[in-house]
Amino acid sequence: MTQAEMIQVLAGFIGTIGFALLFNIRGIRLVMAAVGGLLSWLLFVLVNHVIPSEPVSYFVVACAISLYAEGMARLLKTPTTAFIITSLIPLIPGASLYYTMVFALQADMTTFLPKAVYTLELAAALALGVIVSSAFVRIVNRVAHGKKKT
Amino acid sequence: MEKRFGCAMDIGELMLVSGAEIRRVEESVSRMCYAFGATRVDVFIITSSMVVTVHTEDGAVYTQTRRVTSLTTDYEKLHRLNALSRKICEGSVSVQEIEETVSTIRQIKKVPLWLEIICYAMIAGAFAIFFGGTLVDAAAAMVVGIVVRLCLFVAELVITNKIFGKFFSTIVITVLAFLSVKLGWVATPDNIIIGNIMALIPGIGLTNAIRDLFTGDSIAGLLRSIEAVLAALAIAAGYFLVVLLGGFAV
Repeated sequence: MTQAEMIQVLAGFIGTIGFALLFNIRGIRLVMAAVGGLLSWLLFVLVNHVIPSEPVSYFVVACAISLYAEGMARLLKTPTTAFIITSLIPLIPGASLYYTMVFALQADMTTFLPKAVYTLELAAALALGVIVSSAFVRIVNRVAHGKKKT
Repeated sequence: MEKRFGCAMDIGELMLVSGAEIRRVEESVSRMCYAFGATRVDVFIITSSMVVTVHTEDGAVYTQTRRVTSLTTDYEKLHRLNALSRKICEGSVSVQEIEETVSTIRQIKKVPLWLEIICYAMIAGAFAIFFGGTLVDAAAAMVVGIVVRLCLFVAELVITNKIFGKFFSTIVITVLAFLSVKLGWVATPDNIIIGNIMALIPGIGLTNAIRDLFTGDSIAGLLRSIEAVLAALAIAAGYFLVVLLGGFAV
């Protein structure tokens, strides 16, 4: 891992804390949500070294982090949403969205269209990862308990 | 029964308003009603409305609807409500006890303004660096973040519409970012803007929307998706407006 990547992981961690505080998450849950934010970008950097495609890496990380969120939610007896929403924040394609807007303004279709599609790909990969994970957890639950658990 | 039913509705409504996904609210309300002794419960919840009908053993039928206008994100409240709903399902909690707990949860304070300002600065600064900015970019982004939150605070006295709030915030962000370039503080406005719009991007809305869509709550999912798209368009519109009217080169 390069120094730039380490700084990014740290920045993502601080940013996640900002969001978690904004959403009124307190105590031990605040700590675990922040750790989730740290893990998500750390994992992305590591996965991205193995899988060069960013959207695919996003998908893998979203799956893993959702499982982390489901686990934490059960452990700390709180809704999963609180951990999913915060832990995945470093993966939100903010810069990608911004450059899509910039290229749109420049009215340069050769840069705008690929960027717009790429932003959508990242968002879709993120969403897909969350869905696959929660579907998996639901199936496991159903098998383990014979019925669904909230 | 009627009173207990009302309690279940209150808890459900508060959960929805605090940022729970639709399925959680529907399941919680339905489980609580069964725990109160209902023989049949029909629940229909979308992001803006709740309709619940319960049948009781003595043949009575009650229906209540709730109109939900503004959704926020408050996971502390959600956590407490979730715990309360579990407790109700596990055993008999008296109506009085439920009402007392609900009113304590209602009184949980929102995040105070000073903390919100710190959060905005943290988010803007952290993500300016995250997306490749320098320390100077981050410092400028933090200052902009603070100013934006203060402007939004003033604007919220007049504007209650969330989407318009985002539009307004983006205008302030973009103006300040280009101003910092003009003043020679930073080389490009990019990282200041990116850091600051991170707090506005409907990432939460979109994630919730997609989770709702795929758990079978299509209508709620669609409503949330549309809100997310509108929010993204509002951000883009605010940015375009400033750049085009200000004649800045991008």
